[in-house]
Amino acid sequence: MSMTSVARTARGRVPRIAEQAVERARLAVVPRGVARPPRVPFVALVSVLLVGGVAGLLYVNTSMQQASFTTSALQERAQRLDAVQQSLQMQLERLRNPQRVALRARHLGMVPPPAPAFLRLDGHGGGRVLGHPAPAVAGDGIRVSPAPRAKPSNLRPAPVIVEPPQNKDKQNKDKQNSRQDGQARQNQTSQPREKHGAASTQDADRTGTKKPAPHQSHQPH
Amino acid sequence: MTQRRRPPRRPVRQHVPQRKRRRRSLRRRVPGTSLLRLRIGFLVIAMVVSVFAVRLFELQGVDAAAYVAKARAEGVVTVKLPATRGTIRDRNGIPLADSVDGLMIVADPTLTSPHAAAIATIVARRLHVDYFDVLARLQAPDTHFQYIDRRVPAAKARAVVDEIRAKGYKGIDVRRDPVRDYPGHDVAANILGFTNAMGQAGEGTELTFDDLLSGRAGSATYEVGGGNRIPLGDSSVVEPKAGKDLTLTIDQDVQWYAQRALRNAVRGSGAESGSAVVMDTGTGELLALADYPTFDANDPTGSPESDLGARSVRAMYEPGSVEKVLTTSALLDAGLVTPRTRLRVPGVLPVQDRVIHDDVPHGMWHLTMTGVLARSSNIGAALAARRISDKGLYAYLHDFGLGQPTGLGLRGETAGSLPPWKSWRPIRKANIAFGQGVAVSAVQMAAAINTVANGGVYVEPSLVKGKARLNDGRVVGSATSQRHRVISKHAARMETKMMETVTKDGGTAPNTAIAGYNIAGKTGTAERVDPRCGCYGSKHTVSFVGFAPADHPRLLVYVVVAAPDGGFGSTVAGPVFKRLMSYALTKYGVAPSGHRDKTPPLTW
Repeated sequence: MSMTSVARTARGRVPRIAEQAVERARLAVVPRGVARPPRVPFVALVSVLLVGGVAGLLYVNTSMQQASFTTSALQERAQRLDAVQQSLQMQLERLRNPQRVALRARHLGMVPPPAPAFLRLDGHGGGRVLGHPAPAVAGDGIRVSPAPRAKPSNLRPAPVIVEPPQNKDKQNKDKQNSRQDGQARQNQTSQPREKHGAASTQDADRTGTKKPAPHQSHQPH
Repeated sequence: MTQRRRPPRRPVRQHVPQRKRRRRSLRRRVPGTSLLRLRIGFLVIAMVVSVFAVRLFELQGVDAAAYVAKARAEGVVTVKLPATRGTIRDRNGIPLADSVDGLMIVADPTLTSPHAAAIATIVARRLHVDYFDVLARLQAPDTHFQYIDRRVPAAKARAVVDEIRAKGYKGIDVRRDPVRDYPGHDVAANILGFTNAMGQAGEGTELTFDDLLSGRAGSATYEVGGGNRIPLGDSSVVEPKAGKDLTLTIDQDVQWYAQRALRNAVRGSGAESGSAVVMDTGTGELLALADYPTFDANDPTGSPESDLGARSVRAMYEPGSVEKVLTTSALLDAGLVTPRTRLRVPGVLPVQDRVIHDDVPHGMWHLTMTGVLARSSNIGAALAARRISDKGLYAYLHDFGLGQPTGLGLRGETAGSLPPWKSWRPIRKANIAFGQGVAVSAVQMAAAINTVANGGVYVEPSLVKGKARLNDGRVVGSATSQRHRVISKHAARMETKMMETVTKDGGTAPNTAIAGYNIAGKTGTAERVDPRCGCYGSKHTVSFVGFAPADHPRLLVYVVVAAPDGGFGSTVAGPVFKRLMSYALTKYGVAPSGHRDKTPPLTW
């Protein structure tokens, strides 16, 4: 206040010559208290940036962590599915294993054909049979599972040979005779070689014999 | 007014000097207190920084390596990424050896022993393991690690572990344990070989093509926090390189059938062992290569070590009369005999200090060259061989592949034995003419006879479809198999006609004829050297070779049975040949020719 009033009185005294130059040369006192910009918006901005940054970082971090969990879970799932696929593949291999197919086929009474025969389908000579088809018989079958190992002799009872009853009618007698002969022969051959085990297991694996399937007999249930 | 104006001025005037005074007093204090504070501050900072510097130097310069290692160990996980082992397939793409993601189930007995009975019940029910064995393992004292079951398919193992965990029992976990599965068990096991419990190849193609099949293992290194991967943590992955698949020329079905038919013949005749070869005549591809006794590739330890390899390429034996096919082919090609060449065959033939006999004692036989083959006369063959020089016969036999390995790609293949012609004496040449004094492997002999079936051109037999690189760098396979002409097409045709008489009435093996087909065959019954005395003993090696249809050969089957309790090539090996040939002809749809070939006469 006092300075401005002094300046005013000084201006009054100085003659108005070279007024412009004087005006230019004169030192003016800059007003002291320049209006400070309000602090609130700045603080608000910084806080917003800070909070936003922290929140954003947290969000990114969390979502990445979440993604990491998801990755782990999905990877695990992929592994499991892969394992399931592989075990199914293994199951398929087991099912189409020639050994299994052959056992099933033999169970149905099937044997390999004794001689190949073909039916020509195409135009020229169509319908012609090539080769000599012959009906398959039980003897055409081959043993597909290994013969059982020999049992120790003390587990193999000696064959019991029963004399056929004499006074039956002739047909019956013949049948029984031949059957027992067959058995006796089997026992004789299996005994000295000691290759095969009990005669019953041998019978079970004899090729081409159609075993009565147990489930068939239970069908009425 | 003035009085009113003054009072506000005074405080202003009084304030100004007061402020100036304060500023001055502040300036006056700086040199004393502030500078001191600054210096103390600097000192403190310098001390702290120098502590940091020392520590930094210590960390970075002195103990750097140790700390780096420590840091790595902390939260950084390195996982080995095993490469998937290639699948071995048959010619139709059916896997013969397959890699399955397996797991081992392991237990920490310190955690499992309180609930051992309950856990063992679950495990024994779901897996094929013994309850009491598992119980003992679950209660094993003083250990944190016990195997419960190994090489369990992953899906099954996880199901079991999940069930155990769901019931609240702790201490059971799974670990990676790759399983090599052989779906056929013993089918083609002699060719495939096996892998041991560590997943390393043990034998067969698994071993010889191991570099190709195994690929290269990779690894992954990453930081882990709380069991999960840290998203932005350091990580580096070396991708594993999966092994390549290998496709064999073997047909699983034919192989299976060959093995079963062979097993029946070997066990039925009380023989030591046997081999059967089924070959595609045109390409030399082996459709089946069966050996008995063999082993279960899933359980190689269950069989003696001698049964783990392919006997058909390792075992060397004297081929016997089957070799007469090669002798007569050589004579025919050299133009020294024709199928109708007449020979007088005496009952015995003294050569040097030995006497050559035929199988059956006989008086003077008037046989044609064809008759010599059809009746398998040793004397006839020895007499006919006199027409060719030692060197000439040797060259033919060498061209037929005798005395050199076939290079199939199996381990331990024998080269057989063909003594150099310079060492031949008349008795040795006579012996060689009917198949004694030379030694072959089954595959070698099959390939030699196949030359006749293939119109006189020898084709290297192959076991690998296409081509594949062996561990030793050699590339083998049907795509690379070499061919060379041994005898003329005409000679091969004549020889085939002669061989057809063997399976006809009057030949040694009419039981091997297949209705509707012309079958060219030859029996062989060779004396075996008894290793105890080094002389020919009472045992024989019986064999039968044949190809069909003789007028347009497609398939060749060779069956050898070593040391049966009696029997001949026609009675022991012949039936196997017939079964196998019928099966293969049906399977590959080889139609019968529909006419009977005319064959040369046997006698004159």
